[in-house]
Amino acid sequence: MTNQQKIAVVTGAGSGLGRALTLELVQRNVKVIGFGRRQDTLQGTAQKGGEGFVPMVVDVSDYNAVNAAFDQIEISQGPVDILINNAAVYPQLDILEETAQSLMQTVNINLGGTIACSRAALTAMVKRGHGRIIDVASFADIAPIPTSAAYSISKGAQRIFSRALHADLADRFPNIVLSTWLPGMLATDMGLVNGLDPKTAAKWGASLALLTDRSLNGVVFERDTEMLPHQSFKRRMVNRLLGKRAKPRRLTP
Amino acid sequence: MNGPWDVVVIGTGIGGGTIGRRLAERGLSVLFVEKGNAGHRLEETPITGDVWQAHARSLRGLSPNAAKAKIDGRVSTFFAPIGSGVGGSSVFYAATLEQPERHDLDDSKNHPHPTGGWPVKFDDFAPYFDQTRKMYQIHGTENPLGEPNANLSQPQQLAAIDASLFQSLSAQGLQPYHAHTAIARLPECLNCVGHKCPKACKMDGRSAGVEPALLTGHATLWTNATVTRLLTKKDQITGIEILRNGEKTVITAKQYVLAAGAFASPNILLASNNSDWPKGVANSSGLVGRNLMFHLNEMFALWPKDKFSSQENSKTIASRDIYYQNKTRFGMVQSMGISARYGEILHYLNQMYDRSRLAKVTFLRTILRLPAMLAEKLLGGAQIFVGILEDLPYAHNRVIATDDPNDIVFEYQLPSELHTRRRQFRRAIRRAFRGHRKLFLHQQAELNFGHPCGTVCFGDDPKTSVLNMNCRAHDIENLYVVDSSFFPTSMGVNPSLMIAANALRVGDHVAKEFKDKS
Repeated sequence: MTNQQKIAVVTGAGSGLGRALTLELVQRNVKVIGFGRRQDTLQGTAQKGGEGFVPMVVDVSDYNAVNAAFDQIEISQGPVDILINNAAVYPQLDILEETAQSLMQTVNINLGGTIACSRAALTAMVKRGHGRIIDVASFADIAPIPTSAAYSISKGAQRIFSRALHADLADRFPNIVLSTWLPGMLATDMGLVNGLDPKTAAKWGASLALLTDRSLNGVVFERDTEMLPHQSFKRRMVNRLLGKRAKPRRLTP
Repeated sequence: MNGPWDVVVIGTGIGGGTIGRRLAERGLSVLFVEKGNAGHRLEETPITGDVWQAHARSLRGLSPNAAKAKIDGRVSTFFAPIGSGVGGSSVFYAATLEQPERHDLDDSKNHPHPTGGWPVKFDDFAPYFDQTRKMYQIHGTENPLGEPNANLSQPQQLAAIDASLFQSLSAQGLQPYHAHTAIARLPECLNCVGHKCPKACKMDGRSAGVEPALLTGHATLWTNATVTRLLTKKDQITGIEILRNGEKTVITAKQYVLAAGAFASPNILLASNNSDWPKGVANSSGLVGRNLMFHLNEMFALWPKDKFSSQENSKTIASRDIYYQNKTRFGMVQSMGISARYGEILHYLNQMYDRSRLAKVTFLRTILRLPAMLAEKLLGGAQIFVGILEDLPYAHNRVIATDDPNDIVFEYQLPSELHTRRRQFRRAIRRAFRGHRKLFLHQQAELNFGHPCGTVCFGDDPKTSVLNMNCRAHDIENLYVVDSSFFPTSMGVNPSLMIAANALRVGDHVAKEFKDKS
């Protein structure tokens, strides 16, 4: 098992963080199937990814297409070991510029895509008893800024989906390891000009995706550091008295 | 196909799984009817009261509804550690399959039996204990104080913590042995105590019963199939009414085997009452559901003489040194496979709290975290042991009939003789384990709701028992009961070996009847 090449699906593999994650995983001997809406951007990733990369034109908001793609991967490549739910759009529209339809289309991509891909991947993961799912998440939901309604709603709900998935599965399938990863502000089309180089973030993301320890189930990482769950004041005091201060884990790039 | 099968087996735990396998291997056509789910084979689901939503519990193979119990007159509601799915409770169990002592079953001058003895003697069960040890791949070392234990497989080398305890307990004059566990110890064994085993490594009603039965090609498994009623005509079962995936059907068989567990089996009989059987099917004695027994758990922390980290658990120590003293029935002592860590202590305190008078004051429950943390500091490195105290049959302790097949309802009063024996048992434990620091973990009597038995007992006299010596109902020609309901007394050991051995014995009897008729 350990010597066999792992198979990963990365959504939104045509650009930004998705492309960087794909290339980083390929470099670490992972066969990556990259989902993207556009053939031309996927081609850009394919040129650098070489043989370890298989592009697939899939719109993650088209749930039938997602199911068909996972079926096809299972036949042509084998069962998926790792899923990275990375695909997302950030339209930057004021609420008065949105219609219910336009806003929900963003939700269909950012939240719906995560749900569709996770659900499709789980069929085989449950049969094998193990798997790895990483949701690329953001802090956008905590204090939404102007023109972020669709994005912050969908990304907030994506994190709730991840917690609900954990509630349904973690006790039964501790080896299907679900983690949420907040890569931080990146210098991508969706991020900030002076943000972090996605290549740097991708090293952490790839490391996290390749860790399969069941203790990472339900854990959130920000950049390269584990975010410990909030503890009450009382609990922190007692832990301090007992000399048990929890240490966040760090990812090696 | 709705029948007729040769045999329909209701329930797939240790009893149902084991007899179904034996009958299928003898070439009979067998239908397993299981109320719960098949589940996913690679699950590692633990037995828990933390999941409380009925559908979520059912998906996990846990009994969906909370038990409603009146214990010593006080009503309480809690999740009993009872399974409901393929393998029943056994997929969660610690796989401790220990042989009873001769005096657990037989009456003798030196060891008078409280009911005058079981209708089947120890020596008649013995070959089936041996067969069970083989079938369930039981590992351990010979119990130095009792009858022989044939077909035991060699256990692995002792962990350091167990070696240390063996040495220090032996130095005190005790005769510990390696507990008998039905875990095959395959490579990468996860030691699935308290949770489902994703491999065919832990031997239970599923891996040693239903699955091998299905491999014979003679058995069929229906899951999500709830028995709602047994249909009778005089002294015959004529069919079973089943609700399967929401649809009602009637199935028929030549012989019917009830193995739904000591809570559900009597409930099915009682709930099937009709004009021929106004008190419940097979219940002319009035004893169906009565004589409900558990074990009392006496849990104590014991500190090994050498220092070990709290990550190391003693799993394998068993002792029968105080099983029976001065004509008083106690039971065996065994390590529980857990060390005194925060999670275990908190879980334990929470359980105690939920059954206490404060149970409705939920916000106080969080405060238990403080004593749990302090206890962890104080108890660090201690291993948790349990003494199993035999319970005896009383007609007033009983399962109450209910229309919802998912309900577990019972009444239980702790008899005063049990309180007395409990005090003596604690004294005996203190004396036997002297020289080691130890601490009893509870003051209250703790009933082990995972070990219910006795509710459809077997015996020679139809007035004082429900089943005959072959576990066939005295009243009904084609109905057998093979879960722990048939126990006349609860014995001083975990019930599983006896359930499995008896299922094989009854299986042989049923198979022989088919052969004789053909």
